[in-house]
Amino acid sequence: MSLMDALPTPRLRWEGWHPNVVLVSLSLIMLAAFWLLDVVSMAPNRIVLGTGHGALEAFGWPGALLATLLLSFIGILACQPTHRHYRALLAAVIVIMALMPVGLMASSYLLIDPEMPQARLGMGAAYWVVLFVLLLCLVELRLRLNLTRVWPTLLLCGVALMWWLCAAFGLETLALVQEFKARDQQFLSAVAQHIKLVSIAVSVSIVLGLALAMLMRRYARLQKGAFAVLNFLQTIPSLALFGLLLAPLAWLATNVPFLAQLGVSGIGTTPALIALIGYSLLPIVRNTYTALEQVSPDTLEAAKGMGMRAGQRFWQVRLPLALPVLLEGVRITTVQAIGLTAVAALIGAGGLGTFIFQGLGQAAMDMVLLGALPILMLALVVDAGLGALAEALRPGGTR
Amino acid sequence: MIELSHVSKRFGDETAVDDISLRVAKGKFCALVGTSGCGKSTTLRMINRLIEHSEGDIILDGQAIDAYDPVKLRRRIGYVIQHTGLFPHWNVARNIGLVPRLLKWSATDVQSRVAELMHLLGLPVDEFGHKYPHQLSGGQAQRVGVARALAADPDILLMDEPFGALDPITREKLQDELAKLQARLHKTVVFVTHDMDEALKLADHLVVMREGRIVQQGSPLALLQSPADPFVESLLGGLERGLKQAALTRVKDHMTSMGPTLPAQSRIPGTFSLRQALSMMLRDHSDRLTVVDQHDVPVGELSLRRIIKEAQLDNGNPRE
Repeated sequence: MSLMDALPTPRLRWEGWHPNVVLVSLSLIMLAAFWLLDVVSMAPNRIVLGTGHGALEAFGWPGALLATLLLSFIGILACQPTHRHYRALLAAVIVIMALMPVGLMASSYLLIDPEMPQARLGMGAAYWVVLFVLLLCLVELRLRLNLTRVWPTLLLCGVALMWWLCAAFGLETLALVQEFKARDQQFLSAVAQHIKLVSIAVSVSIVLGLALAMLMRRYARLQKGAFAVLNFLQTIPSLALFGLLLAPLAWLATNVPFLAQLGVSGIGTTPALIALIGYSLLPIVRNTYTALEQVSPDTLEAAKGMGMRAGQRFWQVRLPLALPVLLEGVRITTVQAIGLTAVAALIGAGGLGTFIFQGLGQAAMDMVLLGALPILMLALVVDAGLGALAEALRPGGTR
Repeated sequence: MIELSHVSKRFGDETAVDDISLRVAKGKFCALVGTSGCGKSTTLRMINRLIEHSEGDIILDGQAIDAYDPVKLRRRIGYVIQHTGLFPHWNVARNIGLVPRLLKWSATDVQSRVAELMHLLGLPVDEFGHKYPHQLSGGQAQRVGVARALAADPDILLMDEPFGALDPITREKLQDELAKLQARLHKTVVFVTHDMDEALKLADHLVVMREGRIVQQGSPLALLQSPADPFVESLLGGLERGLKQAALTRVKDHMTSMGPTLPAQSRIPGTFSLRQALSMMLRDHSDRLTVVDQHDVPVGELSLRRIIKEAQLDNGNPRE
């Protein structure tokens, strides 16, 4: 027995008390933000900068008290983190997110003068901070509860539905809603165009990427060169790439009428797609190549020794075993393309980026949000969906 | 029947296999033994044309293997490798049914064949059929590997260090099972191993290789009795050689029929090896044992003198 064992262990006063520090701190951050930052801002019209309002003005005493209780609830539950408490916390986070648009309705009722039809409500810094921190809470809870990506995504879809319902019925004064109402047709076609650009770029990249990856496997010399070119492409800033494509494509369009008929021009969809495909190729090719190469040589040797033909080996063994990693590449590429497509609006390719750049030009931040928020949501949904698909396709249910 | 005559394999300037000739008769078990890099695996893989030989002839059932379509050739040769090479994305039943499906058997035929093989290898279909390779132990996975190789009932089985990655206890168990299986199925087997004891235990014909050449070949007993050079002798275990030889000889082949009177002494079943008999003599401080049949009825007698004498007379006799 050593001396250390003989000494009495100093007993901690809080022994057996292991609060989840992450969630407790996040709860405190939200409380601080709620009380110290502007909860909402109110502007008499679109151009004028809004004036901020704190918690008491925005929600009134009862509302502010309720919000404080809800936010403290997270911290209190996190002090005794049991499995049941984590489940309760998940419910609380979702409920708070779903109640946030209701809070906006309350502020709108309290702050907006019905005599002023141009007046508009904006979400203040506190709102954004709380929303962001709640998402962080969700990540932490997902890890603690060992959930797959699917459940949090479904819950978030429910929250989004709640926001949409509130926005559609009773949040006419919210600036974001007003921006949307002013151009709802334009918004829908922008979303459609955005999705169209991303899907075309990604599907073409998948086909080209697969072909390129296979060629690289056949001709080892090609591999170095192709990766060098693709890596170089990635380093060109997206804006510069769009600019670089302008001149040659415009020249092609004027000199080759056939291409012009196909829709090739210096600006618009064609250069946007070319640039998007250029950027998407690297992650697709890299992941496809790695995915196909990492299949165990023993397995392939056995497949050959059993008398499988080259095609059978590829389609029945190599490809299925490579699929999870390959899909991971598709996921990364799609998420990246969703973001990049925003920049494509600058060369007239349309999409949600249109609102971002128009909004920046008019100093109308709410319009920027009208473009940015759907891009964010699109990226999250695609990320979760493809991630879940890759997980489901793991060979033999290996997790 | 498999016949290799003057076969060589060169990779560039390097000669992996150098002018080897060997013959494996139908239904015989041939083991290629040697240290790693001696060309034994290459030799094996030339037989199913995973590697094409550079010189010489490899004849299978009277026809040179170059005349076969490599894919069709492989489908009629069972192949087992060290790390099983099972497809991780297929369950056990699907893995075993691979070659029959490639040969376009009907689904019901494949299913019943898979069930039959799994039963043969002690893997109940209900319990293992739907499992994936990563859910199996090493021994179970290699049983599946063997079942897959046997699926289309090939005459020839090539095994490339099939038990090399298993723990000693599982390895020994699978060796015993393979020996039993072979006694029943009489496949023509070419078995690559670096474990001499494994080779001695299983093979009818032993081929010792070194640096791409065959150093010596013959029956296990023949090699044990007269190793060609110090290399073969050291592979065979040096001083332990005598005991290894005794392990290959059964008691009942060397007993004398029983005399009129039977002195009280230890009993040994006739199917045991001379090595076990020697061990029993040492344990019981006795130079005689009574040999009994499977019903424990005395049938003969074995003396130490006789064991030593027989060992000299036995020169070159094949096993059994």
